[in-house]
Amino acid sequence: MPLSRYCRIMAVAAALCFLPAAVLAQEFSPIKRNNNAPPKPSGPTPRIADGHPDLTGVWNGLGDNLLGVPNQIANNGLSIESESVTRDLHSGALIATFPRNTTRPLNNEQSERAATLLRRVGSNKPIYKPEYWEMVKNLDHNSNEEDPSNNCMPAGIPRAGIPSYIGQFPNYFIFIYPGQGGLIATQTMYRMIPADGRKHTPLQDLDGTYTGEGIAHWEGDTLVVDTWGFTSNTWFDQLGGYFHSENMHVTERFHRDGNTLTWTATVEDPDVLLEPWTTTPRVALLNPRPGAMLPESQPCSERDLSHIVTKEHH
Amino acid sequence: MQIKTVVLTIFMLVAVTASAVQSVSAQGNAALDRAKVLRAAGDALGMIRWSDIGAGGTRLPAIDIANTMEFVGSGTSYSSGQTFKTDYHVTLGYNPPAMRVEMNRTGGGAPQHVIQTVRENFAWNESEIGAGLVAGKGTATPATAALRERLLQLWTLPYGVVKAALVAGEKTTVSSENGSTVITFPLNGQLAGLTVRATLDAKNFVTKVEVKPDNAALANLAFETEYSGYADHGEILTDIQSPGRIVQKQGGRTVLDIQIKTWESNNPYLIFPVPPNVKTVANSR
Repeated sequence: MPLSRYCRIMAVAAALCFLPAAVLAQEFSPIKRNNNAPPKPSGPTPRIADGHPDLTGVWNGLGDNLLGVPNQIANNGLSIESESVTRDLHSGALIATFPRNTTRPLNNEQSERAATLLRRVGSNKPIYKPEYWEMVKNLDHNSNEEDPSNNCMPAGIPRAGIPSYIGQFPNYFIFIYPGQGGLIATQTMYRMIPADGRKHTPLQDLDGTYTGEGIAHWEGDTLVVDTWGFTSNTWFDQLGGYFHSENMHVTERFHRDGNTLTWTATVEDPDVLLEPWTTTPRVALLNPRPGAMLPESQPCSERDLSHIVTKEHH
Repeated sequence: MQIKTVVLTIFMLVAVTASAVQSVSAQGNAALDRAKVLRAAGDALGMIRWSDIGAGGTRLPAIDIANTMEFVGSGTSYSSGQTFKTDYHVTLGYNPPAMRVEMNRTGGGAPQHVIQTVRENFAWNESEIGAGLVAGKGTATPATAALRERLLQLWTLPYGVVKAALVAGEKTTVSSENGSTVITFPLNGQLAGLTVRATLDAKNFVTKVEVKPDNAALANLAFETEYSGYADHGEILTDIQSPGRIVQKQGGRTVLDIQIKTWESNNPYLIFPVPPNVKTVANSR
């Protein structure tokens, strides 16, 4: 056998040996990204018997820690699309983007301070009545002490964002929000949301709760969850000191396109807001693993707050 | 003869090509220098940042994180022929471009409390913070004539200088003058016709900003501002460096001299909604 032919056969054999490992690595290792742009949809949108999209699934398929800085920047409305382009999705403004300065590695303190800034650059801010501007600013400024979700309290709605699991049944939905550490340390929340055409309980008859009374209906292919009956003991976004009254009314919209789920929430609270506020759309990716499961939530135990001596956010 | 012509032609072609290559190379160097200078100025201010906390496999580039800021200071200001002791409170943002300057002036007659606000194409005065947004809560008075002057205050702050120079792109030039780096660029939009000349110190901090009108009609907008005493002046430390003193001169006269007490750069909650009556007046022009 000529040597060159022998080499080619050996190369093909070697490639075949390593291929499964490469495919596995690609499928199951965390996704490597240099951007935080919303994931592009792929594949068909599965539908249930009545023709509506099937939202069932584990919606944490991005591969990163969903609480990490890239996702927090995205939740704040900034799409870092490449090494040179960042866009504020609310205003459309371009944000100057630069290569990292690799001659200046960051220590932990610098990384924390940078993270605090990065996740609050976006322009999409709720417009409070002027008499509350100082209050919101001060709540945010003192959020280490003031944030109601610290001490392992529920994040509430819509602060919890996109549920990590959606179960879809003929007349109701189950949403699960695993407990989180990191930016907001919260306990696990779940919601059982009827979709049977019922009407809301009158607001005055409801005891305010963290998840409120949610009722779902379809508008075309978009699932709309209309919720009121909240306690005022939550903030309505991840950052910013955005308090609300017990009269808050939240409208969430879920739209599945292939393997992506786009979510927005509109907050109406005429007691404190000058106008309704809508989150910048967030896009979750379906977990690609067959039979994906939610891991058990870690017990939430807050031990750090009493040791924090500065107002820096963590 | 023909050979000489051919040789001469080749020689000329080589010379022209070499010249073109040199020219392109020089332009490349100029662009590189401009990018390096602006990056250095942004880095010095702490406005170009990245972080990998909880980022998993993601490695994002650095971005400009300077948006909303609030600073408080005191000193003197000059207005209508008088110098006042002045308490100075400024809130600002770059996305959208907006600024609210609140001044308490004493020592030159009756005490004055003024709130001067600008956002994009709108300028107005407020009788109280947020006036004119809720019925019965203060008065918002359109101040369209002050639009350019107020926008200029925003874009001539150190962060505004870096942002505007980046936006100006290839129109921005950098040079070395008397050992200092100087950035020169034209402003655009409402501020078209004005050129900014910013001087950096050895640490790449913006220390002097001069505004030069391109024509006599804009002569009232010519001024210069000096920034010094850079440090992180926020209660929440951010590693963003802000000036500790601002001195502004117009026609050789000091019109503002402010010592900074605090400068919060943590992108705090600051908003600048335009009152409906201000929109109506501006849109009717």
